[in-house]
Amino acid sequence: MSHTNKKYWYPYVSPYDPCKPITVKSYPTPPQLYMGFQPPNLAQFETPKQALFHGTLWPALYSKYDKRGDET
Amino acid sequence: MSHTKTMPPEYYAQLEQIQAIDFVIVELNLYLDTHPHDYQAIQQYNQCTYESKRLKKQFEKQFGPLMHFGRSYSNYPWNWDDTPWPWQV
Repeated sequence: MSHTNKKYWYPYVSPYDPCKPITVKSYPTPPQLYMGFQPPNLAQFETPKQALFHGTLWPALYSKYDKRGDET
Repeated sequence: MSHTKTMPPEYYAQLEQIQAIDFVIVELNLYLDTHPHDYQAIQQYNQCTYESKRLKKQFEKQFGPLMHFGRSYSNYPWNWDDTPWPWQV
């Protein structure tokens, strides 16, 4: 059951559009969207510090939030 | 005149430990709100709470009160009189 954390779509670009075309847009789809009710006893990060630095106690719910914008 | 005071690395190390354990407590707390019968999670929550209190006590013994308004004791004279204030840490 693997899913991608980021999805993309490709806006229509009109030949008459005066601005620089935006060819690709993206939106985050973190794991909780696919999990439903969280099961008990999910594996946890080893140390509290790891959990803090990942922003969640459970690796299954971790989703990377990269800094760059919309390009693939 | 350069800045006068810097806290020892231990100060920041202990604060990060407290921050990390408190984060785990928050995660468990939110989880338990929707899983009230998860006995193991409750045990872990209580263990982490105990650890958090221990770490805070240890920190306060060394560096003075961590919180105010009745959540930490003060020495004599009143501890809240010097830097770094919480937002300066």
